[in-house]
Amino acid sequence: MTDQELTRRHFFERCGVGVGKTALATMLAGDALAKQPHFPAKAKSVIYLFMAGGPSQFEMWTPKPQLQKLHGQAVPDSFLEGKRFAFMDTFTKEKPKLLATKREFKQYGQTGSWGSNLVPHTAAIADDLTFLHTVSTENFNHAPAKCFANTGFTRFGRPSMGAWVTYGLGTESKDLPGFVVLQSGPRGPRGGAPLWGSGFLPTTEQGVLFRGSGDPILNLSTPKGVTPRMQNQVIDAIRDVNAMRHETTADPEISTRIAAYEMAYRMQTSGPELIDFQKESKETLAMYGVEPGKPSFAANCLLARRLVERGVRYIQLWHTDWDHHDDLTKPLEDVCRQIDQPCAALIKDLKALGLLDTTLVIWGGEFGRTPMGEIRDGKTGRNHHIDAYTMWMAGGGTKPGVHFGQTDDFGFNAVEDHISMHDIQATVLNQLGLDHTKLTYQFQGRNFRLTDVSGKVITKILA
Amino acid sequence: MRSTILLLIALSFAAQGQDGSEARAILGQCLGCHNSKTAMSGLSLDSKEGILKGGKHGPAVAAGGSSLLLDVVRHTGDIKMPPGGKLKDAQIAVLEKWVADGMPMAAKAVAAPVHWSFKPPRKAPLPAGTHPVDHFIQAKLKENGLAMSKPADRRTLLRRLRFDLTGLPPTPSEIAAFLADTRPDAYEREVDRLLSSPHYGERWGRHWLDQARYADSNGYSIDAPREIWKFRDWVINAFNDDMPFDQFTLEQFAGDQLPKPTNEQLIATGFHRNTPINFEGGIDFEQYRVDHVVDRVATTGSVYLGLTLGCARCHDHKFDPLPQKEFYQFFSFFNNVDEAVEEKDRADVQKPVLELGTPAEIRKKNVIKAQLKALQVELNAYRKEVEPKQAAWEEKLTEADIKKFKFSVQAALGLHVGRRNDEQAALVFETFANTDEGWRERRATMRAVEKLSPKIVTSLIMKDLPQPRQAYIHQGGDFLRKGENVSAGTPSILPPLGNQGPATRVDLARWLTSKENPLTARVTVNRMWMRYFGRGIVETEDDFGRQGSLPTHPELLDWLAVEFMEKGWSQKAMHRLIVTSAAYRQASAADNRLALEKDPRNLLLSRQNRIRLEGEIIRDAGLVASGLFASKVGGPSVYPPIPSGVMNSGQNAREWVTSTGPDRYRRGMYTFIWRATPHPLMALFDGPDASAACTRRNRSNSPLQALTLLNDESVKEFADALATRALGEKDPLGYAFELTMSRPPSAAERDRLRRFVAGQKEEAGGSDKAAYAGLARVLLNLDEFMTRE
Repeated sequence: MTDQELTRRHFFERCGVGVGKTALATMLAGDALAKQPHFPAKAKSVIYLFMAGGPSQFEMWTPKPQLQKLHGQAVPDSFLEGKRFAFMDTFTKEKPKLLATKREFKQYGQTGSWGSNLVPHTAAIADDLTFLHTVSTENFNHAPAKCFANTGFTRFGRPSMGAWVTYGLGTESKDLPGFVVLQSGPRGPRGGAPLWGSGFLPTTEQGVLFRGSGDPILNLSTPKGVTPRMQNQVIDAIRDVNAMRHETTADPEISTRIAAYEMAYRMQTSGPELIDFQKESKETLAMYGVEPGKPSFAANCLLARRLVERGVRYIQLWHTDWDHHDDLTKPLEDVCRQIDQPCAALIKDLKALGLLDTTLVIWGGEFGRTPMGEIRDGKTGRNHHIDAYTMWMAGGGTKPGVHFGQTDDFGFNAVEDHISMHDIQATVLNQLGLDHTKLTYQFQGRNFRLTDVSGKVITKILA
Repeated sequence: MRSTILLLIALSFAAQGQDGSEARAILGQCLGCHNSKTAMSGLSLDSKEGILKGGKHGPAVAAGGSSLLLDVVRHTGDIKMPPGGKLKDAQIAVLEKWVADGMPMAAKAVAAPVHWSFKPPRKAPLPAGTHPVDHFIQAKLKENGLAMSKPADRRTLLRRLRFDLTGLPPTPSEIAAFLADTRPDAYEREVDRLLSSPHYGERWGRHWLDQARYADSNGYSIDAPREIWKFRDWVINAFNDDMPFDQFTLEQFAGDQLPKPTNEQLIATGFHRNTPINFEGGIDFEQYRVDHVVDRVATTGSVYLGLTLGCARCHDHKFDPLPQKEFYQFFSFFNNVDEAVEEKDRADVQKPVLELGTPAEIRKKNVIKAQLKALQVELNAYRKEVEPKQAAWEEKLTEADIKKFKFSVQAALGLHVGRRNDEQAALVFETFANTDEGWRERRATMRAVEKLSPKIVTSLIMKDLPQPRQAYIHQGGDFLRKGENVSAGTPSILPPLGNQGPATRVDLARWLTSKENPLTARVTVNRMWMRYFGRGIVETEDDFGRQGSLPTHPELLDWLAVEFMEKGWSQKAMHRLIVTSAAYRQASAADNRLALEKDPRNLLLSRQNRIRLEGEIIRDAGLVASGLFASKVGGPSVYPPIPSGVMNSGQNAREWVTSTGPDRYRRGMYTFIWRATPHPLMALFDGPDASAACTRRNRSNSPLQALTLLNDESVKEFADALATRALGEKDPLGYAFELTMSRPPSAAERDRLRRFVAGQKEEAGGSDKAAYAGLARVLLNLDEFMTRE
């Protein structure tokens, strides 16, 4: 690379002038679309299935005989000392009591993994999954905890994991964004756009929200009354007149702009093709449980697989309404039914297509739920629990069939193999070939990173 | 790094020929923090005594020979230094030998060098008759064998000036008038005209609002709307009045603490109330109040001092001499605001709030509030009578009945009772309760009473508690781990606060803008410079500390800083000074090969820089070009069209009722700012997310921006209007081009666009209107349209 190219590269990468990866490639001859990782990567793509609201590990993955036995008894003080929970004021009214689960559990597969009757499909493929039972986080409220899980900080405004990943690796897709966000459930996640924002990284790294119906991307369709041919002419004219201005000003930003318009045009074609499930077989649709034309978590899982096939680097699915404070019956059953079969289908599908090895799938919420019950208006659910909860991963170089992390008899705390969200983040980056301590960006005089000042790669779960 | 090298050189000179000089040169890079004055972690390394005494972790070198110092530089323990990266093995070996030799060093400590930005700025002498900006710029260029470019042509210059001072492009008639004005001072007259335009306050006010983290909603989970647009208008007015920057600072930091504050001065304190507010269920309010205070410290640090004060929240600053204790002393200034701290404050979560009505209106509002409260109590009691009948009502509903309800009610009814969220449950209950006559009557009464309440505008303000809170050090940045108590104070590395009696926010504001403060004026003029040239004289405009970059033109920066203070902190005077320089008026084409080789990033300014416009300004330029522009200044935020679906991406799908009439065509800065669901035009074109102070926006260049400008409903509307406007002219193509680019097209451009129009016309079945709408779309998408050259 010549000095001038180096300078230009410095300019683009260090000085906050974001640039489309295509354009960077166009301008820096011989540069690939994708950037080089720090070391050989196991995974090429990530699919993060974010269960917004905090799913209950006790109803899904971790039966606790002691909880069943001591149901209704007050929680021993030693477990509550120094702990902070959401809705603390309710504790002062009445001492919280241990809550047994009403779900039936069974052991599955070679590994004998536990799974409840709420998640039969996912439990059936437990041998392909890596369970993490001792994950902990730093904040017990939804928005800050989501922020922490996604950006490594509880305050909004830092880059999200997807933004860090595309910043570090670029994307392999020529006509789709590197970081795609999909939503399902009755509402958007608490916190909104900053959860997939780019923070101080170039804005081009921010997650692009695809929508479940209509255009997958905002403003993807040409305006009414404009034919494809007319649009074609518009794009061509923009390119030509921009090129003329480039001759006069010699500003490389204009080349970038020309490249950006080329990619925009390609997206107008690739976007509709992406969401068109017609070429998917009936069996595939049935396996996921996709009902054509109906937005759902299932449809988003299938879309995620299609995005991975097209080289998209980081895909995040948000499924909302896991916040079961006062009802672990039908509301929980509904949301489990919505996600269970599609999750299992996604893993099976990726595996059958030979994509699971290079795709890291992550499942989990911003926190889990308490071993004790929370009573609201006579109904019982569980409160937010941040000290130990369950997530799972699959593929992308993780070791299948592992159950990592032990909690105490009530599931309050980790007794061994404590995991923090920063460890999860460090591990995700590691699988992508990125050293979380080296993936930094200088902002306000400090080198910031996704994992702030902590984070350890969870090597024991890696193949 | 560079300062480290300088230090090393300086120290090795000082120590030349003495024993241990090499080791002490290596230690030199530690002295910025570990000197006898600053003594971070209690450790000073500038004397043998200091090393033996050590800091809070014990002696750096113990009498027995064991050495924490060596462990630290070897990275064998928990503490690893220096923070910038491990020393080379050879350097460590030098230190090892030096310790083994008994640490030979001079008895007297070498005074720690003062970082450049902490020294007061001084004006360097200026030859008579030269423009100060050009004097310093030319000197550096000459040193490097370069020269300035030729001046930009007058059209480009006018467009540049208009965008920079008002954020609006010139109209064809304004261009014609400027070109026709052949007086020698035509340009200066234009500068003065623009500086007195009300749009100047909008343009520069918006820059300030980035730093103030202004938004119209609370952020976090709920993201409820808030009313604080009066603060936005206060900023615009302050700029238009050229309120001196010291007064501007005083009113924003401490308007409430001034004697008999006016409403305007109270509104000004909204500056530090623009922090996001969390009020999702189950939070500890105190935790978020602390976050607000931390944010105020960090914002003041980066906006005024160019210091990353926020870095000292959890521990002593790693690079600058800012101990954690001083962070909490600074914190104490902002710690006393009467904000929500506990669950019972939930109903008043945005307090303190100023109600802007006449005394009679406010009295009336309070009376009505009390009446409504009483009515609500009665209604709640009545609810208990009605509620039991709801289940039966729901059961009896037929599908035909359900279809008659609003869609949201239908959706809620479709859900199991336990599955409805609070909003949905309330919706269903209300629908049911309205079938009861008693309920209907009570609600009607309440609505009637409510209507009597005068509509009073409010604004979030600062107001302290009668009894201040005791500030203390938060160990590890955790507010639950109480450390030593502290009282309000400023960093000891900077001049003293000069307070009489307990330090107040008034003292803080006066200290920030005192003539002795070496940072505020420098930081402020540097940011002005950045807006005009695309980059500050100090490129890291928010970090003037040791990790920041050095000024490219230190003498110029100092000259401007001193001038700013001498001109009574007049911002308009500084704008006038900068834009009348030849440096500012140069052409921006990168056509000088020598300059590109020697100075590829144009740090020395041998030309102007092309700068992409901000999202708001791109919208404004489209509005002006299309003739749709509504020029009203200030007022409540507005709702221009937004692509459908945008508002659904947060927890609560907030309503967006698209404005009609002139409000549909207001400047981008008046668009309602929801933190959780920002308008895509702003988010995609690098608008700030308002979560913290944004002192510099990125300038990205992405395919999604292209899609927005190509296909967005607003842009199409601009294009159609622009086409209609152009078609009324003799030369529609040339006119449309001038409306968007402020210049006529070149022959080649005209030729290409003429072919384009013909092609569109053919495709659109011969419609001129469609063809020229196509042309307008092309123009609104050109790089030049969205760039100030």
